[in-house]
Amino acid sequence: MNDWLERLSQLPQQWFDSPIAAIALTLGAYFFGIRLFKLMHRPTWCPPMLIAAILIAVTIALLPIGIDDYNRGAGWLMLLLGPATVALAVPLYQQLPQIRALWKPILLTLPLSATLAACYAVIIAATMGAPKEVLASLAPKSVTSPIALGLAEELGGSRALLMGALLTTGVTAIFGVEWLSRVLRIRDPRLIGLALGINGHALGTVRAFEISSAAGAFASLGMSLTGAFTAVVLPLVWHLFY
Amino acid sequence: MSVLRGFLWLLIFLLLGQAVVGLFRLPMPSGVIGMLLLTLFFGYRGGMNPDVVHISQPLIAMLALLIMPGVVEIFFVAGQFADQWAAILTALIAGTLLSVLSSLLLMRRYLPASDAPGMAAGNAGHE
Repeated sequence: MNDWLERLSQLPQQWFDSPIAAIALTLGAYFFGIRLFKLMHRPTWCPPMLIAAILIAVTIALLPIGIDDYNRGAGWLMLLLGPATVALAVPLYQQLPQIRALWKPILLTLPLSATLAACYAVIIAATMGAPKEVLASLAPKSVTSPIALGLAEELGGSRALLMGALLTTGVTAIFGVEWLSRVLRIRDPRLIGLALGINGHALGTVRAFEISSAAGAFASLGMSLTGAFTAVVLPLVWHLFY
Repeated sequence: MSVLRGFLWLLIFLLLGQAVVGLFRLPMPSGVIGMLLLTLFFGYRGGMNPDVVHISQPLIAMLALLIMPGVVEIFFVAGQFADQWAAILTALIAGTLLSVLSSLLLMRRYLPASDAPGMAAGNAGHE
């Protein structure tokens, strides 16, 4: 009997030796998050991702495994980030005629919007006395995660803090776009999509696809252009100051 | 099978993206380059491959799921930034609301109203 209990207590460690348990936990938490989100009548301030992330963190804290065990397994899931980014070519191509007609105003406004997205956060944090490491983790906060991770690494930021910043930014951007577009009476799906993609990266883009496919395509465009622009400009500007 | 064939297309373009990034030393992730290459390829062929269309929808919906594992770690290193939380949260929330406001205003100022039916009605409100 004792022998049996001991084997049972080793089970979590054994599970997390392979990536399967981490992937199952992530997917399970995701669907649970969506379920709870719907039960709570879709609060904008608490997206399913946040519920799911808290659930995973609690599970890891309760089980005799560490965050590193989980990260190792979840890394396999993150491999899908690459193909998922390439898949954005589909909505992008579908909206190509629209985008081609608007390339001039987009090219005029997007770099400025992307710069402001990074500058506001860095300036606010710097005036409140945040150290360089924190600033480096906040600067790429509006950029889609594969680009942002590379950027934070290059600037010397913290990976974990950046991911937290990405989630907070995504949630705030979705709330902000929906609230401010109502206040400003903006109903153009292209404009709402662009604003969601520029400020709210992948989270905003997924939300834009729920509004309409046109909004989603413009969000993908906003997200990828913001990513490309920030990836090139941010390291240059950063090294001027630090 | 169609979904798997579509997935293979995405992987091939991801690898092509990686090749371009490596050859030209671009400071961008291979996924973004792969996406642009695939868009160009669709444009060249004059249409989309139905297999790729099938796989793209579930994968795009997964993008939000895919940042979650990274987010979990913040709960375990939170103590490290204990004295910075006020600055971090103010910067993120106020900064993002400000940038949303400025991008909405900028775009409204410079994006011409759409002539597509349905959108025009929505635009009339603020013109």
